Amino acid sequence: MNQADVSKLVSKLRINVLPKHRNLNNPKGPEGRIDKLRKTVTGLIKFERIELNYNRADEARQYAERLISEAIRHGDCHKPTMDTANFWLLEKELIHKLFKVLVPRYEATNLSYTRLISAPQQQYGRHTDKAVLELRGNPFPDLMNYKTNNKLLIQNVLLDAAKQDYKQSKINEIANNIGKKGNSSLDKSSKNIEVPEKPTES
Amino acid sequence: MRRQILCLSTKITHNSCTKALPLTRFLSTQEAIDRRYHLFTLEKKRQLDKVGRVEKIEVQYKGVPNDCTLVMNKGISTPYDCARHLSEWHMDTSALALLDGTVYWDMHRPLTENCTLELQNFRVPEPQQVNRAFWRTCSFMLGACATVAFKDTVPVKLHSFPGPDIRSGSFIYDVQLPTLDDWKPSQQELITLGAEYVKLVRQNEPLERLEVSEELALEMFVENEHKTKQIPSIARNHGKVTLYKVGKHVDISKGPMISTTKQIGRVAVVSVHNLNGSNSEVEHLYRFQGVALPTGVIINHFAFSILTDRAKKLNTVRSPVPKTLEHEDSESIAMKA
Repeated sequence: MNQADVSKLVSKLRINVLPKHRNLNNPKGPEGRIDKLRKTVTGLIKFERIELNYNRADEARQYAERLISEAIRHGDCHKPTMDTANFWLLEKELIHKLFKVLVPRYEATNLSYTRLISAPQQQYGRHTDKAVLELRGNPFPDLMNYKTNNKLLIQNVLLDAAKQDYKQSKINEIANNIGKKGNSSLDKSSKNIEVPEKPTES
Repeated sequence: MRRQILCLSTKITHNSCTKALPLTRFLSTQEAIDRRYHLFTLEKKRQLDKVGRVEKIEVQYKGVPNDCTLVMNKGISTPYDCARHLSEWHMDTSALALLDGTVYWDMHRPLTENCTLELQNFRVPEPQQVNRAFWRTCSFMLGACATVAFKDTVPVKLHSFPGPDIRSGSFIYDVQLPTLDDWKPSQQELITLGAEYVKLVRQNEPLERLEVSEELALEMFVENEHKTKQIPSIARNHGKVTLYKVGKHVDISKGPMISTTKQIGRVAVVSVHNLNGSNSEVEHLYRFQGVALPTGVIINHFAFSILTDRAKKLNTVRSPVPKTLEHEDSESIAMKA
């Protein structure tokens, strides 16, 4: 078979691509959809982290990944790549950012260039899946913070001290009970007195 | 508040022409606070003016997003100003600055020489000092809360607060309420105290530090006999007293403290204990106890209830005596000549 190797024609993306694209309802039809996605891709390259609806984020992510991988593959002296960048980036200074900032940043990486994280839904109103789309290596603080198991964090110190306090109180209770068992006859009589008192209290 | 001051001033002007007014009553509450605040701002302005010709220092910043060198003004720029050059996130989350890897520095305290700077938030790998600063600030704010929470008919005299001990489970402020005899707050009153605390926190005021001479400190706390007793022993080492201001509330503490009040997140004032049994020197001394967590710490309500239940017990950290006040271990932390 004289079939071309697909991976040599199109760069392989490191993200999941759905078999069929999303239509992203728009009165202008497919053209309007592309307009929407161009805005999103531009915003992503500009701000490096954006929050939007999940469907639009996932769709735009694929175009952004493709754009960056093309830029890395061909460089800035390749006419078709330049045209693609010109088409997708509405603000023209971002073309410089793409080739001078993002290409050096992602040249050596073996991960995807973007990250898509589900964001919390609105509590009231329409339920739409929200997502945060960001470029990897952005200057913002990490969104996923799992580092809560540090023993020295203030909440952990407080809880640990409370736990120790509780244990100590239990040990004291047991120690007191042992002392009481020694004179069991007194203990029984005191219990007998306690029992009728309780219902009156409550 | 404004109406109150207006009322006071009109009363004073009216009475001055008719008959003498018992001014001592006014000096014990709002007027004393205003006076102290006024003296604080004047002294701060004087110290800033004393800087004179602006000299530049180089601050080597280490940390996210990348290491860099900032050229700042000597004696004027603070670590907070450095954070403003970096990002809003740095401004909001940084609680304490670490200079040269050893000295913990307030965010709103002017830098004095070339140094390296690291900004510390509540999630750094080793947050002990940040936690201590947080706990100290919570105690300090509890004092501010106690002064504003009571009606004008109840005079409030702040006594002191011991050094931060997080493992004891609660932060403390000892307050003298001379007119209240054996007061036990109801649940509703505790909730109100907590609400006043939250109000103060939401004002998002920076905690400003100022070192003043002993005489000025005595002048500022003239109406508070506990503080005037404590000041000479505090000033014995350096001849200086470190004051902190939040909003209009000024109090003595050795510091360091966190950046702004907004960094205090979930907070509860859980109990007020009468200390008369243990401390016979001061009559009607009450120990206010509370528990708080920094902003952004999300904790299960059940876990928080465990913390509040524990904080309700009387915290038996030694009763503050002037000699063993907080400034005892101050040299090790925040004193840099």
